[in-house]
Amino acid sequence: MSFDYWTLGFQAVNVLVLIWLLHRFFWKPVSGMIAQRQTNAASLLLEAEATRAKAEAALAKVAATRDGLASEREAMLAAAQAEAKATRATLLEETRAEVDTLNDAAKAARLRAAKTLKETAVEDAQGLAVTIASQLAARLTGEAVEAAFLGWLEQGIADLSADERDALGKGSSLDLVCATDPDEAAQERIKSVVAKALGAEPELRFRTDPSLIAGFEVHSPHFSLRNSWSADLARLSQALADSRKDLPPPDETQTDAA
Amino acid sequence: MDNPLQTLPLFQLGPVPIMPAVVVTWAIMLVIVGLAILLTHRLSVVPGPVQAAAELLVTAVDAQIRDVTGAEPAPYRAFVGTLFLFILVANWSSLIPGITPPTATLETPAALAALVFVSIIWFGVKGAGVGGFLRGFALPNPAMIPLNILESFTRIFSMFVRLFGNVMSGAFVIAIVGSLAALLVPIPLMVLDLLTGAVQAYIFAILAMVFISSAVKKGAPENKET
Repeated sequence: MSFDYWTLGFQAVNVLVLIWLLHRFFWKPVSGMIAQRQTNAASLLLEAEATRAKAEAALAKVAATRDGLASEREAMLAAAQAEAKATRATLLEETRAEVDTLNDAAKAARLRAAKTLKETAVEDAQGLAVTIASQLAARLTGEAVEAAFLGWLEQGIADLSADERDALGKGSSLDLVCATDPDEAAQERIKSVVAKALGAEPELRFRTDPSLIAGFEVHSPHFSLRNSWSADLARLSQALADSRKDLPPPDETQTDAA
Repeated sequence: MDNPLQTLPLFQLGPVPIMPAVVVTWAIMLVIVGLAILLTHRLSVVPGPVQAAAELLVTAVDAQIRDVTGAEPAPYRAFVGTLFLFILVANWSSLIPGITPPTATLETPAALAALVFVSIIWFGVKGAGVGGFLRGFALPNPAMIPLNILESFTRIFSMFVRLFGNVMSGAFVIAIVGSLAALLVPIPLMVLDLLTGAVQAYIFAILAMVFISSAVKKGAPENKET
């Protein structure tokens, strides 16, 4: 075994040179590249973090905007609901007023119709009553009725004013209308009653009018003395017609019930 | 069979004999530096497979340094990493027929051990100052100074002998077996020699780092009062 110090020195120098060379060409560049990659990764991570923070901020902004939109939407909905409510109330009010108007008009129409119906019914009843009375009166004939009407004729003439009686008495002729043809005796009785009542004897022209039913009427060109069932019924009918004007209006509740 | 412990110079440069180990070391240097230049010439942020492997090596060396020292690996990376790479390649050079690994001679492990000895002093003084480094010999008490000084030599000597013994013995066994049965039989021993060579490179580098770290830590300010 031998030990060569030259070789020892050579190997020490060789290893030192190798250390320097590898430091220069291997360890430093490779570790530098690793460090650069780590730096790049760190910066990328920082950028990613910043980007994420930016994205989160944008997301928060979007969320805030969305919340704003939601609240605005709720406000708009509330306003629309309030407006719709007011419109509905207005429409209801208008509709109610219109319905009230229509109800009033309908009620008035019903009242008018009821009044008309009532008047028609009363008129018909009155007409029926007059018809019944006229038919009943038509059965009342005979001397008693004739005498009664003669008496009423005399009374009617007596109730005239003196001027009217003079005018009747001095007239050229008077029409004396009878319900039936009077015989000679009846004519004489009539003439005597008229003359007695007028205090004069005017010329009487007898006419027959069955529509009188019964009784005697005196007509001149300027005067008429109506004394017959027909005149009585006409007066009665007129009185009834006048009385209809004073009839109370139809009962509203009964009308509504009807 | 040649005596592996007996080497003859390849040639003379005047009075200076150039041994085969030196020439093989130069070849190893050329290969390693050439590969390093070729690799680092095309470094990119997105690494290829070769660059990834190189970065893996650097990262592994850094991790080992960090685990051993607890400090940043940058100041020690070139020294420890180069020791590991050189010893590994030198040990594995025994696979090339006719090549005797430089680490199988006395001078190369001795030179490496001497460099570790110097580096311990260098990093110790650099890290703790001259006083701090010298105070590290008085730990745990001044009575230990002679033993600590002796230990600083013996542990270096043990590194040298361990590396030389393992590599030389491997080469010696392979040479003996090869002389007896040259075909295929030495292959398992060569594989074992590969493993031994890697383990010895790792042990040498780690021990160097441990000794350097110990020198730095012993001289650190927190150990002054001890």
